[in-house]
Amino acid sequence: MIHVHLELKNVSKAVFRKVNNTRVRTQILNSLDLKVNKGELVSIMGASGSGKSTLLRLINRLSEIDSGTILLNGNDIRSHVPMELRRKIGMVFQVPVVFKGSVRDNLAFGINLCGGNTGIETLSRDVGIPEDLLDADAGQLSIGEKQRVCIARALANQPEILLLDEPTSSLDALSAERIEKLLLGLQKKRDLTILWVTHEKEQVERIGGRRLILRDGRLEDYNA
Amino acid sequence: MLEALALALTVFLVILSAAYAQRFGIGKEILMAGTRALVQILILASIILILFEKPLFWSFLVLVAMAAIAGYTTYSRSGKLEMGFPVAIISIAVASLLLLIPFFLMGIFPLEARYIVPTGSILIGNAMNVSSLAIDRYKGEIQNRRSEVEAYLALGAKPELAAAACLKQGILSALIPSIDNMKNLGIVWIPGVMTGMLLGGADPMEAASIQIAIFTSIFVAGMIASSLVLHYSTDSFFTKAAQLREDME
Repeated sequence: MIHVHLELKNVSKAVFRKVNNTRVRTQILNSLDLKVNKGELVSIMGASGSGKSTLLRLINRLSEIDSGTILLNGNDIRSHVPMELRRKIGMVFQVPVVFKGSVRDNLAFGINLCGGNTGIETLSRDVGIPEDLLDADAGQLSIGEKQRVCIARALANQPEILLLDEPTSSLDALSAERIEKLLLGLQKKRDLTILWVTHEKEQVERIGGRRLILRDGRLEDYNA
Repeated sequence: MLEALALALTVFLVILSAAYAQRFGIGKEILMAGTRALVQILILASIILILFEKPLFWSFLVLVAMAAIAGYTTYSRSGKLEMGFPVAIISIAVASLLLLIPFFLMGIFPLEARYIVPTGSILIGNAMNVSSLAIDRYKGEIQNRRSEVEAYLALGAKPELAAAACLKQGILSALIPSIDNMKNLGIVWIPGVMTGMLLGGADPMEAASIQIAIFTSIFVAGMIASSLVLHYSTDSFFTKAAQLREDME
């Protein structure tokens, strides 16, 4: 039986942008609908400023929808405590942000937050962080390594859904490919539902899954 | 006669500095600030003179008024945050009062308007300065570290935890001048109370003891007030759904 994991119904969102020191209201998402099944991989393409990141922020509830409904397992996300919702819906940003301290401190943060029992070593192995890097200063890592730390930190919460906001766009081709493989492997291993935002056609081809494009505030099927 | 000479010197220095500063385009501003300071201090002296004749209740009322004005100044510096006004007044008043009480409980000063108003005003004024610096820096840190704060939130951290590093930086930055002053106390400068007591003919050891007690009280009051202001302002930066407010840019 198909389990609809995430559903967006009639979602609209406008943002304010500064133009010549005046705040201008721009409609980003317009009556958007989306259904994502459990364990599904959905890639979302779109031009810059089309609202891809905004869409993910609404699902993680870092931003609020103007109208419509977002359902997680059939329940309105607004009925969840925001902090608990965000632990179920992990998010990896375009530019990796590591917290002050060692790699181990960063990974322990997620584990301590959710009171989970995932070991730091297991987590680091899953995302390909070598053990000898665990006690290194996280701020000194390469961008690719930082992104791995961010992915591991998000996974420490044992999320049901992972939102990926162009996670490889700041990486070189080789590191990007490694992170892609890592994420696809994790999706299969953990049966994760993934929404992967990207602006690269080639990446969409590589990662597979259902392909959508965000255009004029709505999602359409994308056929390369 | 002495008062007239001191006031004449002040007027002369204000006019001289304003005339000199005119070449930097701030002559008028200095003239205004100097005139305001002169008028305000004379009004204060008159109020204290009246307070000497009134019951102590009036002295505390003057301190409450000072705390309210100080709170408003800090509140304005915060960009008029929601709930920021009562938070700033209460924080500054509580911290200053907490540090004022021991001076009278321990008998360092007699419970008279002559001691209550100046000591209280020093504590309130410094608590205001530190709190204003701290809230300004705290807000700036949150704006500049928006992606870090949101990375914490996205993991399911509470707003207090997400903003903790910014809060710490805010307090630290605001306390740096006080810490530096404390380190250099008596080496680079002789602070106001001690100077005043020495000029008044007091024993240097007595003047130094009272000065250090007041100095550390000022520091502690500033630290408590700024911690309270920042702690209770955190909610103003976030929505009820624990989102960093979009107008925090």
